[in-house]
Amino acid sequence: MLDADVEVDRREFTVRAELQVAPGERLALFGPSGAGKTTLLEVIAGLVPPGRGRVQLGGRVLTSTESPKVFVPPWQRRVGLLRQDPGLFPHLSVRRNLCYGPGVDPSGRELAQVADALGISAVLSAMPVRLSGGQAHRVALGRLLLAHCDALLLDEPYTGLDASLRRSLTELVARLVDDRAVPAVLVAHELAEAQAFADRLAILDHGRLLQVGAPDEVVLRPASRRVAELVGYLGFVPADGRAGIEAGIHPERVTSGAHPERGVVLTGMVTGCRPSGAGWEADLAVGATTITCRLPERLAEAGGELVVTAVDPPWFGPDGAAVAGPYGSPAPSGPSNPEQVGR
Amino acid sequence: MLGALIIWLALLGPVIALLTHLSGSAIVSALTGPGDLDPLFTSLASGAVTLAVLLVFCTPLAYLLARGSLPFPRIWEAGVLCSLLLPPLVIGLLLIFMVGPYTPIGELLNATPWHLSVTNTFLALVIAEVYESAPYYVVGAQAAFADVDPRMEEQAALLGDRPRRVFRRVTLPLAAPGLGVALSVAWARAMGAFGAVIIIAYHPYGLPLQIYNTLQETGLASALPYALILLVVALPLPLAAFTWSARARRRRRG
Repeated sequence: MLDADVEVDRREFTVRAELQVAPGERLALFGPSGAGKTTLLEVIAGLVPPGRGRVQLGGRVLTSTESPKVFVPPWQRRVGLLRQDPGLFPHLSVRRNLCYGPGVDPSGRELAQVADALGISAVLSAMPVRLSGGQAHRVALGRLLLAHCDALLLDEPYTGLDASLRRSLTELVARLVDDRAVPAVLVAHELAEAQAFADRLAILDHGRLLQVGAPDEVVLRPASRRVAELVGYLGFVPADGRAGIEAGIHPERVTSGAHPERGVVLTGMVTGCRPSGAGWEADLAVGATTITCRLPERLAEAGGELVVTAVDPPWFGPDGAAVAGPYGSPAPSGPSNPEQVGR
Repeated sequence: MLGALIIWLALLGPVIALLTHLSGSAIVSALTGPGDLDPLFTSLASGAVTLAVLLVFCTPLAYLLARGSLPFPRIWEAGVLCSLLLPPLVIGLLLIFMVGPYTPIGELLNATPWHLSVTNTFLALVIAEVYESAPYYVVGAQAAFADVDPRMEEQAALLGDRPRRVFRRVTLPLAAPGLGVALSVAWARAMGAFGAVIIIAYHPYGLPLQIYNTLQETGLASALPYALILLVVALPLPLAAFTWSARARRRRRG
């Protein structure tokens, strides 16, 4: 179990977070740039001392600012950190990079097995400069596995790699974390990546953990309006008849037509329309608010009227906290029609 | 390309002049007398000891400067540059004030069982060469260490290496090409050291002083062969270092 409860003072704000990650569990830390995600990983790895707090890994206290004070240096922590730059030693061959950790036999069976599992057996004698981006990441990962780290920290490791490579590497790491039963923490600034990797998703903003939960739960039931904004809700539409209550509208959770049994029906004027992926993205002026929705077809031109349904949206009160929906909780189940909301 | 060639030829001008003013008989007569090769050996030996001193004592300083781990780094850097800014002749004179026979340090050295003296001894020659070459090495080595990505060191530490081991296995090998070049420049400077040497280490002669003395005693024609020897003897080491550095960089950067 990786258990961290730390505070780190930064110039702009203090990062405060409490995380528990069980062996074999994969936690994704998601939040905007500068939220303090990397700082948290660096505190766990022992690269940054916390102002206050405690880090424990598998029963070993790695950092404690309270008496008796403990600070285990990075080289004794057995915590693996993989960053965007794989950090391979350019003066050593792939094989020697893999063997860098203590007690790894360059011609041993374990190295051969890990290289095989990672698909890098053919490049063992190459220098890192000859590797592709994906291969370099696999080697870096292999190096951490062979060093037998007790925890795996991944700091936006796949930024800059193409989507299919990212997906295959994410699946590979997820499988390896399961096999080795080590706690793993992934820092991501793309939600899809965090969702693909994690058993649990933690939202960090401005140094604070806003919500921790199953990825689905966090995305579909954000605990606050700020979490909703961070996970992609682009518009907030006032509820009919309840002052200060708003529904969060996620562009991908909008369907065309009026389906009051599925959520909130919204009618508005299209103010902009553009291709998005294999479909269309339309901006819709609903009352005083503009929402964005992604639809499979181009249903209206700019200036035209469009009726859509926001499927089972989360609701937020005047203070920004999640509240029960006006039509029942958690899913709005009451009747709704185009005239009810947003007209 | 043409501009580079012109500059290169201009820099090489003195060497071309040297080669065109040398006569075979002068070289033979300069090298065949008894003890004629002593200055050469003196220069090589003092140069080698100087390099060893620089490696051992100045490498850590350069590393700390590069990592910014010293308080008030600009003051430390200014200190290194001082001995570069002062004319070597002045350095030599000031060394007399610092370590001459009638100074506390001079007396202390004389009181050792070996009765060390830092005027007109091999030790004095090494000290003069160290002062003339150290800033070149420190500045070059600092740049070489600064080029090493601290994240590489961090990664090595996370893989279980203590700081000393990180330095040996990662920092030093990664900085080595740059260190090699810095050491070559320092070697060239040490081999050609003259200003401080003539003040505190008139004896034993190295090649630069041999050139100066021969010029004084018998004229330019018999002094020039020693300049050629200096070039021929001092050049291979930097050339080898440059070749090795270029190879190592190519291997790492593709």
